[in-house]
Amino acid sequence: MTFAIFLAITFIGTTIALLVRRWERVALVVGLVGLAAAFGAALAMDPEIRLDVGGAILATSPYLRLFLLLGTFTGLVLSLMAGAAGSRRDGPAVTLGTMGAAGLALALPDPRVAVLAITAGGMLGVLLTIVPTGGRVGAGVGLRDLRAVVVAGAMAIAATAWIGRDLEALVAQPVVFGLAYLAFALAVAIRFGTIPFHILVGRLTDAVPETGLPILIAWGPASLAIVGLAWVDASIAPLPVDVGPERAIVVGIAIASIVLATFAAWIQDDLEHVVGYSMVGDAGVVMLAFAALDPAAWTPGRTWILAFVVTRSAFAAWAAVVRDSFWTGSLSDLRGWAIRSPLLAVSLVVIVVASIGLPGFAAFDARSDLVDLAIDGPLQGLVLIATLAPMLYYGRLLVIGSRRLDVRSAPVVDWRPHWAQVDLTDLKGSVNRFYKANRSLGMTVASLVLAVAALLTSIGAFGGPEAAAGLPPVQTLPGESTN
Amino acid sequence: MNPALAAIAIAILAAAVGAVFVRDPRIAVLTLAIVLATTPFLADPIVPASGLAARVLGAVLATYLLWIPVRDGAFTTGGSRLGWPADAMVAGAAAVVGYVSHGLGAPAGGPDLASAVGFGLAALAIAPILTGRDVIRVGIGLSLLLQGALLVRVGLGGTPSTLEQLVIAGATAALGGAIAILAATARADGTAGFALADELPPRRRRATDVRPEPRPAHPVDERP
Repeated sequence: MTFAIFLAITFIGTTIALLVRRWERVALVVGLVGLAAAFGAALAMDPEIRLDVGGAILATSPYLRLFLLLGTFTGLVLSLMAGAAGSRRDGPAVTLGTMGAAGLALALPDPRVAVLAITAGGMLGVLLTIVPTGGRVGAGVGLRDLRAVVVAGAMAIAATAWIGRDLEALVAQPVVFGLAYLAFALAVAIRFGTIPFHILVGRLTDAVPETGLPILIAWGPASLAIVGLAWVDASIAPLPVDVGPERAIVVGIAIASIVLATFAAWIQDDLEHVVGYSMVGDAGVVMLAFAALDPAAWTPGRTWILAFVVTRSAFAAWAAVVRDSFWTGSLSDLRGWAIRSPLLAVSLVVIVVASIGLPGFAAFDARSDLVDLAIDGPLQGLVLIATLAPMLYYGRLLVIGSRRLDVRSAPVVDWRPHWAQVDLTDLKGSVNRFYKANRSLGMTVASLVLAVAALLTSIGAFGGPEAAAGLPPVQTLPGESTN
Repeated sequence: MNPALAAIAIAILAAAVGAVFVRDPRIAVLTLAIVLATTPFLADPIVPASGLAARVLGAVLATYLLWIPVRDGAFTTGGSRLGWPADAMVAGAAAVVGYVSHGLGAPAGGPDLASAVGFGLAALAIAPILTGRDVIRVGIGLSLLLQGALLVRVGLGGTPSTLEQLVIAGATAALGGAIAILAATARADGTAGFALADELPPRRRRATDVRPEPRPAHPVDERP
């Protein structure tokens, strides 16, 4: 019942927020209230429910609950920040819809339906690409995103449909299993924008505000990756079929993404592009989980996905605060940002620790395990080192932030709290003044909250590794008992 | 072969060829509506009534949303550069491939005509998706691709459950809505209709990427 309430809140909330999108503030409030209610519903959710809906089974799990909890929480914080910064009005609705679709998909044992739900949820993302001015360019970016979502969805639908039936009388060559596996892996790669599908990410970072990037590039695709991992573990990994060439392609995509996306993030001048490519680099580690083809990759793969999406959400939030505080996202214009706003510096350091990790952290160990499982030989050590390369762009950001300012007219960042005397004859004015005076501080604190959440997730403090070790909902073929 | 299913299959493919070929976006949307509304009937056994109703409603909603930006007929869409006979041949050839390879190496749970039409729709979708230069044409290609994949899934795995029908209906409507909002956004910007920008502008600094003027006095200090 609690899960049904979550789904009802997300889908009804999304519909209402989209219906009233003409009234920007109303849509924002509806979306925020919906996200808060969805977070509450996720908190109250029974992690072991089994529902029969329309001939299909919906089953919750501790991992599903944790994914939705973290998703709605980060979505709520990012939406609040977007509202404070005056970003696109559809952010909360898109977040709500994406979380609803992810919740539905992760609860479905049948990957054919799950893939479809994620594809439908991904289509909402185009709303975030519509820019206030230059609509034709925004429409072009949105169409690219929509194309990626539908093409990836079609590939995953075809792959899951081919294997999702009784194959006892199979007469096809085993290579078909490899092609199905490759189709699903490529679908996930396309959604994440991993190399060589990274052009989409570049375009999205041009059009989508920082607070919207995690939903489009991390959370939505992550749910497809989780469904894909369950499908690979159940349908491909146990088979005595040689899928070597296909696996080599997936390994290639993973390594290229880890190395080249990190390099791209390092050399970018635009903060949004740094954020976007950092997500692509981390998604490369997710692709390693697909390449492992080993049930042992199940737990670290899902653990890494949780850490990745929360950490990258925190990084995007940090970037949003930087742009809001300094009115620029150009790194060459951001000299001395850390000196101007020490809280932001603390926030980035926490994000760095969460992202890179330390031995003993759940995310660090999960990433190392995935490299071990997916890659053999001397390349293993090189890739392991490459996964630590994000230190390059983090270091660059910190170095730029600690440089002396060369322009005296640089804006003063209001990172300290301001207390105004309350005027009882003008309460509304007092509240407005207090809000304006502390808006920057509020956004910085929100960024810090997400950074701490990312650190805790990376450590494994929310029970992520235990939840990730749980088995996926059991799929039943037509005619089998669902009980 | 079930003659009713065969008639539905021919109707879907003919409508899809029309949607890809025509330059008038209103006719393109209406022919696409035929595809969306008739694909649920290409199943054996037939979809339960509740699922069927959901699918048809999803198709109607998608069509309505797509109709909004094109209804005045002020702008055209790209249409096929090859002509409808070539498109029909492509669809027909792909349908034959889908028909003879039904099951793809294992016994299938659905009708062979679903696989045939699924392959036909997917083949028709390739040109608009890869070469389309306007939102409506690419959007129609995406809709055909999604319906094609769903029909292949029906051909392989049999009639979907009611919940799956609901999700398909939602995906159909969501795709229609997404294309519609992109089309409306494109035509509201300038006079080029649904055409995409010739090329995306080079990565540029945003308008706010400049040193701002010194900010006004702090709001707290403005109080009398």
